[in-house]
Amino acid sequence: MTVQVLVKPNTYIDSVSLMSLSTKANQIEIVEQAIIAMGTEMNKEVIRNVGLMTPEVESAKTSDLVIIVKAASEELCEDAFESINELLTKKKDSSKGKSEVKYSTITSAVHGTPEANLAIIAVNGSYAPREARKALENNLHVMLFSDNVSIEDEIQLKTLAQEKGLLMMGPDCGTAIIGNVALCFANAVRKGNIGIVGASGTGSQEVTVRIHEFGGGITQLIGTGGRDLSEEVGGIMMLAGIKALEEDDATKVIVLVSKPPAPSVEEKVLAQIKQCKKPVVVWFVGGNEEKVTQAGGHFAKMSKEAALKAVLLAGADESKLNKRALNLPLIEEVRAKLNPQQKYIRGLFSGGTLCDEAMHIAMEKFDNVYSNIQRDPEYRLKDVRVSQDHTFIDFGDDQFTQGKPHPMIDPSTRIERFIQEAKDPSVGVIVMDFVLGFGAHEDPVGAMLPAIIEAKQAADEEGRHLEIIGYILGTELDSQNIEGQINKLLASGATHASSSQNAGLLAREFVVKGE
Amino acid sequence: MRFAKSGDGDFIQRIIHHKFHGFVHSTFNRTINIQCLDRGDLYTLACKGIDNAPNTLIIDLDHFEETDIWVNDVVSSDHPVLLIANKMSITMNGVKNWNCELPKYPSEADVLIMNVSTMKQYINLHGNNSRIERAFKSGNPFDDEMSRMLHERTQLLVSELQNKRISTAITHATSLIGLGPGLTPAGDDFLVGLFTVFNIENNRSFLHQSFCEEVVLHAKALTNEISYMALAKAAVGQVRESISDLMEALFRGSEEELLLALDRVLAIGSTSGTDIALGIVAGLEMNK
Repeated sequence: MTVQVLVKPNTYIDSVSLMSLSTKANQIEIVEQAIIAMGTEMNKEVIRNVGLMTPEVESAKTSDLVIIVKAASEELCEDAFESINELLTKKKDSSKGKSEVKYSTITSAVHGTPEANLAIIAVNGSYAPREARKALENNLHVMLFSDNVSIEDEIQLKTLAQEKGLLMMGPDCGTAIIGNVALCFANAVRKGNIGIVGASGTGSQEVTVRIHEFGGGITQLIGTGGRDLSEEVGGIMMLAGIKALEEDDATKVIVLVSKPPAPSVEEKVLAQIKQCKKPVVVWFVGGNEEKVTQAGGHFAKMSKEAALKAVLLAGADESKLNKRALNLPLIEEVRAKLNPQQKYIRGLFSGGTLCDEAMHIAMEKFDNVYSNIQRDPEYRLKDVRVSQDHTFIDFGDDQFTQGKPHPMIDPSTRIERFIQEAKDPSVGVIVMDFVLGFGAHEDPVGAMLPAIIEAKQAADEEGRHLEIIGYILGTELDSQNIEGQINKLLASGATHASSSQNAGLLAREFVVKGE
Repeated sequence: MRFAKSGDGDFIQRIIHHKFHGFVHSTFNRTINIQCLDRGDLYTLACKGIDNAPNTLIIDLDHFEETDIWVNDVVSSDHPVLLIANKMSITMNGVKNWNCELPKYPSEADVLIMNVSTMKQYINLHGNNSRIERAFKSGNPFDDEMSRMLHERTQLLVSELQNKRISTAITHATSLIGLGPGLTPAGDDFLVGLFTVFNIENNRSFLHQSFCEEVVLHAKALTNEISYMALAKAAVGQVRESISDLMEALFRGSEEELLLALDRVLAIGSTSGTDIALGIVAGLEMNK
């Protein structure tokens, strides 16, 4: 027997619907037992008593809906979740008369929907390569959302895709926008003439929302997977993505996004840019301007700059753009409020590239910048639980996500760390990202709000000012209501940064002393 | 513009005379919960036909299905109007104030004794499969274990209260909070019923009010915000109008009045009404 768990954060369903759902779930033929209940401590005790406790259930909150399925195999559990989700969706959509067909295998889905040309694979990492291979063999492009896929499997799958002229997006960078449809973690943005190939998830999301804010739009966002530009994988999908966008008539400008690539792969990418007939903007965090320019690319040091260059190359009128310059009087005001001991920034991020960008901005002025994702071992945190001088934490990194959902879905680990950092009298600024969009938490700011209010009050009582910067990655088209999220953040007394780049710059400038 | 029909007096005064800042916390077909930013309390907007309740405003709407109101929409007030984003405005003009006033315990207990007996029989026949009343075997291990724990813990709580062992009673009451699969867990609902009785003036259990407050201190971390608000309010004698009416009917009503009032309580949620009613019975029987 296999037990699988799905935790739906902050999900409230009225009792009558919940009971009916639970009854129906237990009636699904393949289900041995289904439990649907709120994640309270006492309900967890019942779950423990019947031997179905798992780490996911253990970490559920009182406001989370916990769904547990026990079935004969992992595959049957997945099928059962699909059916339960269908029941949940049916409940939500019943007034709109929506319905969808459920297929239990890729082969039957291919037969049932011959017009489909893309499969999203989000099953457990150990089964994902098999399913992805099946999809590629059926001539479907693949978005592989699963994590824990071995690099050997990734290379094999990408090589197969390359041979068949297909895209194999992912794993480990769960973002894509294909034909204006957001897949996995992505934001709702305008359709336009800029195509993106991204090897970093939130970095690519950030560029799409900045382009949207500047009035531009996206043709496709091809998420290559976080390891694509490693020596081993060799940038197979980034090269395929550039080629696909070059051949796409709707795409006028191409943007490449990545954390620093392996040198040999960077060379291959730059060589392809040289051959590309369309303008290519390159934002590789910490990248080299000279190399990019020599290859005929347009270098961007930061995310907003990449988006700005892209919209200008796509034909936007620069004089009409609001570039959202830094608020210089605010910098002076905050510097005056911080006491001399408050020297350090603590960056607590759910998005890896957003963390990387803020960290690189800080590194331009400070030497003592530590992180769990620092490439220089000297500045890599010895113990990720303990901050040192300026510290930037990527909570989406493996150390924090083993057996736990991604922080863009479950913010609990970051909340605990925030409380810890807020008590440190050497901290001047805490900077955080809140990612909205498809797949993300329904209320990321709301989840952090009580902790922010409490931390600011505690600092006030100790006679120190605690500056908190929040950056909300999203657009007005995202379901979470970005305006409401900004209002909540502002109501807590935090500062709202208008972009990832500005968040990093403000954090750095607030703690600069004696300028 | 929508009209508020009736509602909690304090909530109405807050909208009319002060500023209300909050956001939509959760949405259902016939109710919307909003969370205020300064204290974090939950307030409810309910459709007509739903009874008055603490922190609740009843408005002239049949359901919220097509209002396009979403979780996180900003809620504010511009007296005397409550605004939900730019999607709904609700004026307090003409609204009827309601405040929960629980009836006093009767000086003569004859009617009450007879009504409690009738109520028990009626719940037995018409109650909604409460897991508290008896431990049952459904064949589903989770349901059976849940039922066993609810039954056992409510029995232990009642026994400790009857024997006036308050500190162990608090432990047992706390072990009920959050226990149950529903939105308002069965354990919480039972405590709401019990707290209602403990807040009745002239009742011998009236002294247990401090017990309610003590239990609620533990509740915040143990249950969801919606259920917590109901418990916290019940701990100080603030309950839904249908529950307050049931208490009046129990103390002074005819059998017909009692059953009418009881039907309205039993109709709350899936098993919530039954669990609340069982809490009330348990509380009243302690006075024997």
